[in-house]
Amino acid sequence: MQHQKAKHFKCGMCPRRLNTAGGLAVHIQQVHKLEPENLPRIENALPGRDGYEVEIFGMEGIPAPDVADYKRRKEIELGLAAGSISQPPAKRPKIENRALTEEELKAQLEAHKALMGSGTDMGASAPTADAGAVYGAPPQAYAAPPMPAALAPPGMPPFFPGGPPPPGFPGAPPFPPPGMMGLPPGPPPPGFGMPPFPPPPGMFPPGMPPPPGFPLPPGMPPPPGVRPPFPPGGPLPPPAFVPAGSYASPPPPSATPSLSATPVHPGAPGSLEAPTFVRSSSNTAAAPSGPPPNGPTLPNPALAQTNPPFKKQTILKYSDANFSPEEKRAYHSKYYVSKEDATPQEEMKGKKRARAEDFL
Amino acid sequence: MSTEQYELNSPPFDSISAVRFSPSQNHPNSLLIASWDATVRHYDTSANEQKSKFEHRAAVLACCYADHAHAYSGGLDTYVRELDLDSEKVTSLGNHSDAVSALCHSKETGAVISGSWDCSIRFWDPRSAASQQASHKVPERVYHMDISHNNLVVAMASRIVHIYDIRNMDSPLQQRESSLRYMTRSLACMIDGQGYATGSTEGRIAVEYFDPSPEAQEKKYAFKCHRQTIEDVDHVWPVNCLAFHPIYNTFASAGSDGTVSIWDHKVKKRLRQYSKYNGAIPSVCFNSDGSQLAIGVSYNWDEGEEGAKTAERPAVWIRRTGEDTKPKKWSGP
Repeated sequence: MQHQKAKHFKCGMCPRRLNTAGGLAVHIQQVHKLEPENLPRIENALPGRDGYEVEIFGMEGIPAPDVADYKRRKEIELGLAAGSISQPPAKRPKIENRALTEEELKAQLEAHKALMGSGTDMGASAPTADAGAVYGAPPQAYAAPPMPAALAPPGMPPFFPGGPPPPGFPGAPPFPPPGMMGLPPGPPPPGFGMPPFPPPPGMFPPGMPPPPGFPLPPGMPPPPGVRPPFPPGGPLPPPAFVPAGSYASPPPPSATPSLSATPVHPGAPGSLEAPTFVRSSSNTAAAPSGPPPNGPTLPNPALAQTNPPFKKQTILKYSDANFSPEEKRAYHSKYYVSKEDATPQEEMKGKKRARAEDFL
Repeated sequence: MSTEQYELNSPPFDSISAVRFSPSQNHPNSLLIASWDATVRHYDTSANEQKSKFEHRAAVLACCYADHAHAYSGGLDTYVRELDLDSEKVTSLGNHSDAVSALCHSKETGAVISGSWDCSIRFWDPRSAASQQASHKVPERVYHMDISHNNLVVAMASRIVHIYDIRNMDSPLQQRESSLRYMTRSLACMIDGQGYATGSTEGRIAVEYFDPSPEAQEKKYAFKCHRQTIEDVDHVWPVNCLAFHPIYNTFASAGSDGTVSIWDHKVKKRLRQYSKYNGAIPSVCFNSDGSQLAIGVSYNWDEGEEGAKTAERPAVWIRRTGEDTKPKKWSGP
């Protein structure tokens, strides 16, 4: 408020400072006898806000759209995700700790691949450069109690005599897409925690089973440092860190509609929590019935409607006479569920019940 | 926070399909919101907080209350579910063969009635073991339903309107063609049980009466609204929702133009138009004592996927209503 008085509601002709725009207008008119139409614009105001119409007292009376606008501007300024100020902070995304089903794993692997870029043509250093920090992380993170005593520290000697790969290592290969495995061993990427050594032959052939004594459970949450390749806080697919070997063959491309790979609703920062997850799993369930048909069909074509013409020039904002916007929306790949997909509801019911009972 | 209206905290992440207040006089602040983000959320509007969230497998298109603790939901996954608002339990009652597009609850019989794009209306009794009681074929996809005492009004695609007596669902009491020439987009029954109002995609509202006598039918009328003339061209928006005030029997209309108007249909006058919101309004609802109007603001696919890219995030406003919804000559109900 002091700021408003000092900066905006100061009379240009005398030292008086007023509380509000209206007050200033009246003051100028009465004390300085100026006509209302040539009132000076309010000083230091944003363009378009320099009028006297809006009566703001302190923080009261700011028009709602302006508040929203301000928050949006601040968001952009601070480089935050849209909505992080204007919406209450999203709850920590729920990460279910159960083992994921094969379908979900495949979907997430797909998503991961999509994120990493499809390139088998990527240079060895390109993809790994930004993942550089990551490479150092796994050994440490995986050095959990179940590790065998033979665990080699990151700074281990350069040569690795063909024995079993270091325990920490198998965690890393999934980062480059599987196609990369076949690349010639080129120079080591920067930040690759280990001094140069040619990878022992057959070290990471695609399809290699995880080395024995490497008990990384599929659902193990990734160590914090491993996150960067993904949008932070996203519905992280921990299974992407499962050694690539457990997926000898790439998942069938059509098995999961692409929407499961788009975890974020546009413009909805908080949407990382369950709803999307629900949808993606329901879509994996619906997957066998293929992508959504082109659109709804008329149950009784004899009843088909046509909009009567207008007498005057008219722009009708919704002009389909036969299908409501909802019906069309239902066929969009983001929302489509197959009607035949009558998955027993008991599953969901059970889950809800179980959860409710957990609280009791 | 303005005293006139405030924005509800933690709104849905995707478009709002329905906002519904509890019919219970003792729970005037209990609000449900069904959304395309596959949730039904339960709010306390006086505390301005989300009480619980019910996750669904697909977008939810409809929800309704039975009493303050029980509600029903239906949507694209074809199932009708009972939501226990206290224990947060979800029970599936059964399903349609296409999306559930409308739900209502009969105070008289306790039945839950669902309408679907599969061209049927189904009755459910959540208290009995076999919850589906009956299914009735209708000629077209059900778009909207509302109930007033025993009169069930069903608005369908192809501008068909049926009026049923729910005690005898064998055949409709009346079969009408909508008096509006464009797709029916909204429907609501009057509080006094005399009739109903419908809205169309072509910015127009019709007020009609149940009584089939010529004198009563003569009183029906329609009027234009939710439109704007810009440089001699009429811009016409759909009327997405209608809601009657529980005491004054006036009604609110909401359009894709982002405005809400209050109408006194007896004197054929607009009582109030609220300032424009920053998006289409898919749904509005008065609470049980008529002191609040919930206004859901979100994109509702009028322009397909393209429009979704530029749409504002969904928001729900709670507006305090009072004199502005009261007819000018109000002498009591």
